[in-house]
Amino acid sequence: MTDKSDKNVKVSAGRVEPRHSESTVTPLVDIYEQQDGTVIVLTEVPGAPAENIDIRVEKGVLTISAQAVVEEPGDAYSRTYVSFGEASYFRAFALSDEIDREKIEASCSDGLLTLRLPKAASAQTRKIEIKSE
Amino acid sequence: MATFRWPGNLDTFAPLRVMARELDRLMGRQQEYQQVGGGVYPPVNVFSGSDDMVVQCELAGVKREDIDLSITGETLVIKGAKHTAAKEEDVRYERRERGVGEFSRTVVLPDRVEPSQVQATLKDGILTIRLPKSEAARPRQIPVK
Repeated sequence: MTDKSDKNVKVSAGRVEPRHSESTVTPLVDIYEQQDGTVIVLTEVPGAPAENIDIRVEKGVLTISAQAVVEEPGDAYSRTYVSFGEASYFRAFALSDEIDREKIEASCSDGLLTLRLPKAASAQTRKIEIKSE
Repeated sequence: MATFRWPGNLDTFAPLRVMARELDRLMGRQQEYQQVGGGVYPPVNVFSGSDDMVVQCELAGVKREDIDLSITGETLVIKGAKHTAAKEEDVRYERRERGVGEFSRTVVLPDRVEPSQVQATLKDGILTIRLPKSEAARPRQIPVK
């Protein structure tokens, strides 16, 4: 080493654990159907800003992938206890044919991704009136 | 409510946790092990610097007004509640993995803090708390005359 600035050399105390970001995490979801038939999918993606979330529908499969950004305070800080990191989230669901793929809406706030999957008009329950003659 | 305290930077259970993770990886159970954000016991990170400490807490889907922070001496308590998004009787659940209810996590900090100068920010479901160390806990350089 030719670097003369000795005092900048940091020796990390203890073990350096592998970063969690090296693998994919399965995010937790809640799925429920509203009375109007719209299916709501709530996905926990803590640390992922909206621009890091990718939602696709391909061949009837809905995939959610997201990359979390967890800023560590820097080298001047020692990692006293670390239990989560910059995870990448991935989860896929098979969509029912009743879902109108064109009308899927997504919003994200506080690390919670909300997907609204409305039913296609043709799949909605329709009450058929009996005409009296 | 759970407390943890490691003497300094020494994490007694680190080798055990590494081993558990390695075993899980070998058995192909990594995904199970790596699930995040669940339940009522949010994961935390603690970083310690010379002048301050940084605590990060994963709180997906928890609103700012539902989080309650308190500091007593070296103990930081993160309390809050995760609410259901919809009324149970109005909807039909297909899958329910996210925890609901009140949570409380106690973190014993490595040093005493200046409670009046603590700052907390919530961004994308991650709470970051910056806790300046109290004057007595800061390292002081003593010049040799």
